[in-house]
Amino acid sequence: MSTAAESARGPGQGAGPGHGSGPGRGSGTAPGTGAAPASLRIGLAGLRAHKRRFAGTFVAVFLGVAFLAGTMVMGDTLRASFGALFGDANSGTDTVVRGADQIKAGRGPGVREPVPTDLIAAVRKVPGVAAVAPDIEGAGQLVKPDGTSLDTKGPTVAANWIDDPRLNPYHLVDGRAPTRPGDAVLLRDTATQAGLHLGDTTLLRTPDPVRIRIVGLATFGGQDKQGGSTYTALTTADAQRYLMPRPGEATTLKVRADAGIGQAELTRRVAAVLPARFEALTGQQASTETESATAGTFLTAFTTLLVVFAGIALLVATFSIHNTFAIVVAQRTRENALLRALGATRRQVLGSALAEAAAVAVTASGLGLLGGIGIAAGLQALFPAAGFPFPDSGLVIKAVAMAVPLAVGVLVCVGSAVLPAVRAGRTAPIAALRDSAAESVGVSRWRALSGAVAGAAGVTLTVIGAAGTTVPAAAVGAVLTLAAFVVLGPVAAPVAVRVLGAPVARLRGVTGRLARRNALRSPRRTAATATALMIGVAVVSLFAVLGASMKATLNQTVNRSFAGDVAVNEPVYGAGGSGISPRLAPAVAKLPQVQQAVGLGRGIAEIDGAGRQLTVTDPVALSRLLDLGTVRGSLAGLGTRSIAVARPEADKHGWTTGSRVTIAFADGQRLPFTIGAVYGQADLAGDYLMTRAAWAPHRTQDKDTLVAISFRPGVSIAAGKAAVEKAVVPFGSPDVQTKSEYATSSAAGINTFLTLIYALLALAVLIALLGIANTLTLAVHERTRELGLLRAVGQTRAQLRAMVRWESVVVAAFGTAGGLGLGAFLGWALVRATDSSGTGAFAVPPVSLGVVLLVGVLAGVLAGWRPARRAARLDVLRAIAAD
Amino acid sequence: MTGGVAAGAVTAGTGAAADITAAARVVAASKVYGTGDAAVRALDAVTVGFPAGRFTAIMGPSGSGKSTLMHCAAGLDSLTSGAAYIGETELGALGDRQLTLLRRERVGFVFQSFNLVPTLTVAENITLPLDLAGRSPDAAWVDGLIDVVGLGGRLRHRPGELSGGQQQRVAVARALAGRPEVVFADEPTGNLDSHSGGEVLALLGRAVREMGGTVVMVTHDPSAAAHADEVVFLADGRLVDRMTGPTAGAVLDRMKAFDGRGGGGAQ
Repeated sequence: MSTAAESARGPGQGAGPGHGSGPGRGSGTAPGTGAAPASLRIGLAGLRAHKRRFAGTFVAVFLGVAFLAGTMVMGDTLRASFGALFGDANSGTDTVVRGADQIKAGRGPGVREPVPTDLIAAVRKVPGVAAVAPDIEGAGQLVKPDGTSLDTKGPTVAANWIDDPRLNPYHLVDGRAPTRPGDAVLLRDTATQAGLHLGDTTLLRTPDPVRIRIVGLATFGGQDKQGGSTYTALTTADAQRYLMPRPGEATTLKVRADAGIGQAELTRRVAAVLPARFEALTGQQASTETESATAGTFLTAFTTLLVVFAGIALLVATFSIHNTFAIVVAQRTRENALLRALGATRRQVLGSALAEAAAVAVTASGLGLLGGIGIAAGLQALFPAAGFPFPDSGLVIKAVAMAVPLAVGVLVCVGSAVLPAVRAGRTAPIAALRDSAAESVGVSRWRALSGAVAGAAGVTLTVIGAAGTTVPAAAVGAVLTLAAFVVLGPVAAPVAVRVLGAPVARLRGVTGRLARRNALRSPRRTAATATALMIGVAVVSLFAVLGASMKATLNQTVNRSFAGDVAVNEPVYGAGGSGISPRLAPAVAKLPQVQQAVGLGRGIAEIDGAGRQLTVTDPVALSRLLDLGTVRGSLAGLGTRSIAVARPEADKHGWTTGSRVTIAFADGQRLPFTIGAVYGQADLAGDYLMTRAAWAPHRTQDKDTLVAISFRPGVSIAAGKAAVEKAVVPFGSPDVQTKSEYATSSAAGINTFLTLIYALLALAVLIALLGIANTLTLAVHERTRELGLLRAVGQTRAQLRAMVRWESVVVAAFGTAGGLGLGAFLGWALVRATDSSGTGAFAVPPVSLGVVLLVGVLAGVLAGWRPARRAARLDVLRAIAAD
Repeated sequence: MTGGVAAGAVTAGTGAAADITAAARVVAASKVYGTGDAAVRALDAVTVGFPAGRFTAIMGPSGSGKSTLMHCAAGLDSLTSGAAYIGETELGALGDRQLTLLRRERVGFVFQSFNLVPTLTVAENITLPLDLAGRSPDAAWVDGLIDVVGLGGRLRHRPGELSGGQQQRVAVARALAGRPEVVFADEPTGNLDSHSGGEVLALLGRAVREMGGTVVMVTHDPSAAAHADEVVFLADGRLVDRMTGPTAGAVLDRMKAFDGRGGGGAQ
């Protein structure tokens, strides 16, 4: 009913102000002063008269801006509060002494040479030093009372308890400090999570199990928890024994100054007495480094991810906003033509359309900022509940976090309206007199041609890029393909709607037929509406394909390389575990059921100047449990001065058996090594193999990441697994997995990642649905009289609702199908283009994509709900009488 | 012509008495729009029957309530007081869904403009009410109708490809396709030239005289009204006269009288 009233009122209100001031002064004489207010007034009057038409646009801009602003505010807040936390926690430390050289391989934290505790005496003698304490840090995973290990997703920190309360960021709140062997202090939250209490005894996996007794509980920087990590403090002697490779070493030394000595001054004095291999830095610098190494890296990656998805949401919003404006301009052709006939200049008509867009943009973006602050506040409240670190402090709202989303929101909204506004300005005055004034529905040959050319070029480039693993070519091809999909949408729409709508027409009779025909009315509009959803669905499908391919690759790798029967597999430090005790493999090997058990440890060293990850193991035993491919040279003769290298890595550096390399270890030693063997397959073994004997003198905290086990002939997997499970109980019951379980658990991270991605993409899909709903609302408005006629000749309200909903479903199905195709193709290209070794698998997950399709179609039903209800509420008589 | 008003009141009374064979009728029908000072009485205690098998025209000057009478009699609008019947069914007792079903099963409509669904073909438009009801059309009847309206060669065309007169003939065929008890036509020739209009009116006449249908037509065109068997005249929401066997001249004379009277009444 309101729609009919609205349209009756619209032209009158729009024309009023234009008639008053536009014709008189508009053309040529004083466009600057005369034109702007008239355009503005006409635009705002139009907006007032058609508030509902812009509701969808408003919400799309609002959501996009709110998400972006929320992300930025949350990032700033997290960064500030982590900064404050680390700063507070280390405020008592004025100088930190540590190994000067750091060896890094990949994205890991890297290793430094431990500091000998002998240095403490020398440092203590430096004038101005009030206290020195060794700081020892390693991995230690707690075993819960039920015998399983405490598994959080964050680091499992084990350290020594520093007695000087100002050097120690932890503060005892219950019990006492550890003094005797086996004494331990837990972070209060860690104790709660593990279900451990003061006085309890349990095992700490370092990863070698150590029996500890809980004598105290502590807080960190006044908080019960420290991010997502667990914390266990031992006596310094225990920590040295279990966490450091050798006694008499510490990770760093912490130094406190006498009153009146500045950090910089103290640090300079301390540095002067240190041997060259060690360095001193101020407590402030150390805090900043720790902060950027832990929180910073994580936060940057996380906020970047969020901003990328805010970008995708805004891209989707751009399409649906553009569509809305295009439709509104088309619907208002007569009104605009009347303005032109009455003497409004093109610029005035264009100006009024832009003024309308700008008003929506500024209001929606402004409110979006408030929404963003709300989102950030909500996340701040929600994160701790989800076990995520989010220190409670006030929100940090920086000018940039407000200005950027505001600018982006206004730009997206006004930018989307420019083309339709130009079209509005071009309206010929004669259009006022024409009977019907819909936008051109035809598809130009130029569009079909340019789309086809772009599509062919895009697909060809993508395929070439994928085949040749040249990522830039594939990327350019992907962008071209996406553009071609957008351009060709209106060309494909009639065919697609006919095909996708066929079952609807067959099953739902005349209602379905009407729905299908309605979706076919304007291919351009249908395509533009579906495009927004297509982009969202394409990104979802791309990730689904990517994830499935990664899982398939892992599966394939395990199946190809893992020749054992079961594996003991535990996450290591940073991934919620402390690894596996190196004593576990020998213990399991003694079982009567077991043929062979070999542990794989990990080390970091510099080989010919570059940081590399080494697999520390028994290479001969390993070759029986993992398929290493063809081996040249001798694994048995590696000894302490040779290593084995995987063929692709060896080829890259031009090494063969007998080549010489220099290996620099974290303890500062640089030693010549020989390449003793070259093996064919790196898969699970890694690129470099080193014997335990060669690694032992340079080792850090000793741990295995995987133990591969094979059973004697005649031992069933079930029986063998049961025996192994029993044998590993003293080691904190790490996971014993069959081959397929091992493959699945290796892929668990991918699932977590995909879930996060899907959650983030939900916003883009929601905006696309708003676009569909909005287009339908506008279409219902446009077809008021037709709907009235249908109702008059006997269409029930239910049939009318079904008709609108089915139209929505057909459009949604079109977008979803396009997105699935595009996403699967680009996913394939991405998998192939990035698979330089050529061993990766490509997999299409039928279930996931089926779910996407189903969600897309159901979303169509949802998007059509409100427009359908509004259409059904139309009063028959007024609808027929509407013009 | 005050005698006309009195005669009208008498005629209305006799009309109510002869309602046994009415396909549609209203009894003491009043329709008021708005409230208080803004209230407009569009229908004022009108009682009239539209006999089955007859072609009745409703005439009157603008604002006389003729369209309102048709809308209320057809179940498109509801009365403020009084009752409207299709056959023996009292419309006021029906909900929206029942009214819709009644419209598509027992009533046919022809409107002044925008009579067809642009996305459907001519053939689909004709059978639309039947399709909506899920009834299969009586093929012989529909084929006969198509012959009568003379659009056999255009069944697969869309309405946009037809002239206004052709569209209106399709609309008449649609109105008759389900063999309704009564067809209501609201200014069906209002948007047509006299030739096309004549064709449409002839068609409505044949529907009554050759196919046994009942047609009620609202018009303000005396020559259109002359196609009807009987004309009822409305003024200021009241039934003021009836004329059997009308001619264009007689109707025009009557209307001129109303115009003079209507001008006086509007003071």
